[in-house]
Order: sequence, then structure tokens, then C-alpha cells
Amino acid sequence: MLRRWAERTKIIALLTVAVLSQATGNVLLSQGMKRIAGESGSSLVGWASALFQAVQTPSILLGTGFLIVFFVIFATALSRADLSFVLPAISSEVIVNVAFADHFLNETVSSSRWVGSILISIGVVLVLQSAPRTFVAEDEQENIADEAGP
Amino acid sequence: MKTALMIAILVCANSAGDVLLARGMREVGTVPFFSPRELYRATCKTLRNGRFLASIFFMTVYFAGFLSLLSWADLSFVFPAMTLAYVVSTLAAKFILKETISLHRWAGTLFVCLGVALVSRP
Repeated sequence: MLRRWAERTKIIALLTVAVLSQATGNVLLSQGMKRIAGESGSSLVGWASALFQAVQTPSILLGTGFLIVFFVIFATALSRADLSFVLPAISSEVIVNVAFADHFLNETVSSSRWVGSILISIGVVLVLQSAPRTFVAEDEQENIADEAGP
Repeated sequence: MKTALMIAILVCANSAGDVLLARGMREVGTVPFFSPRELYRATCKTLRNGRFLASIFFMTVYFAGFLSLLSWADLSFVFPAMTLAYVVSTLAAKFILKETISLHRWAGTLFVCLGVALVSRP
């Protein structure tokens, strides 16, 4: 019982870090790309120059780093919990993005976006009430088979 | 018609990527948090896992297709339509990954779909 609670806490902590990494990565990418889009045109040369500028823009590089961290944590979470648990839980990133857009990017957030964020919160709370894991991992299956003997 | 077909392809690619990643990570086994040696072993095992690599391929297809779709369709239409991927991934988790989807989890997933669709409205 205690072990299951500890594993659940670990998974939720992992998903919280993943959500914050993804939201931070998206805000940094958005800031960097908006700056580049303002400086380059829509021609092929403009695109090439935008790509060149992108790899030299610290906020884009940092944003990409945060998204890589997100992917690593997402994959780690999937080794420990169900896809049908992780996927809706990760979607709380949308709420953090809305809050970040309102706070850091000074974007106008409409009331329908806030209502959507509330619906996502309800959804995430409902999903978090279910057991995070309903599968047996392959290494555990091997252990069970070893313990059962020939 | 072209947009609907593209959305169907993207939803399938997104869900295929998620399912393959989940299956691949289960084959790798539980990734440890605090043991550097075990973490290194799990990383090597992950990078050699065929399903993990296939998931990267499908996610790349999804990302490229998504960018291409945005060149002719509105984001305010594309993003809500892409929430279908949550439902398809949950169905795939039930029937392919053999996960038990409780009523709470189904209800939560549907709330999330509705919420994301609302958030992505202009």
C-alpha cells in the first residue's frame, strides 16, 4: 500500500516536472521565433536566414533543451505508468501555457480559454484519481517467471 | 476533404508514436531515478529499441505533417481537431497495450479533449 502510494507520488512529481519543462520550452521557443519572424522575410532565403538565426538565438536553444528534457521525462514516465494515464495528465501543460502566455508574453487570454483550462483541470484531477499503472513491465514478468521456477 | 484526410493521418501518426513509445519503454523496463549505472544501461537499451526508434519516426511524420497542414488550414480548426488523438490513443492503450481504462479515466480524457478544444479557439 505504502509502496504503491510512493510510486504514485513519484510519477506525479515526474509528470509535474515534465509539464513545467514543456511549458517553459514552448514559451522560450515562442519568444525566440517571434523575434526571428519579425526580422526575416517569407522567401527561401528568408527561411534559411531564420534557421541560421534560430540556432544562434539563446532562447530557442534553451527552449529546445527544455523540450528534450520533457521528452526524456515523458519516456521515463511511460516506463512506469499507463499511456492512458500519462497522456491526459501531461495535457495540464496547456493550462500552464495559458497562464505563462498571460503572465510572461502579455497575450490576451479570452474567457473561453480560461473555461477550457478549468475543464482540463477537472479532466486531469479525474485521471489522477485512477491507478497510474495497470500493466506488468517485461522485467517484472521475467522476475515473476523466475520466482515461479521451471 | 484534403484537410480531413490530413487530420486523420496526423491523428494516426500521433497515436502510433505514443503507443510505440509506451510499448518500447515497457520493453526497456522501469527506468530507475537515482542509479547512474542503471540509468546508463536503460538509456543504451532504449536507443537500441526498435519500437522506440519507430515512435521517433512517427512523431517526426506527425510534426512535419502538422507544420504542412498549418500552411493551408487554420490553427483554430487544426488544434481542436487534433484532440481526437487523445481518444484514439486511449482506445489504442485499451486494445493494443491492454490497459484497464476506468470510468474516471474515460471521463477525465473527455474533459481534457473538450478543454483543449476550447483553449485553442481564437
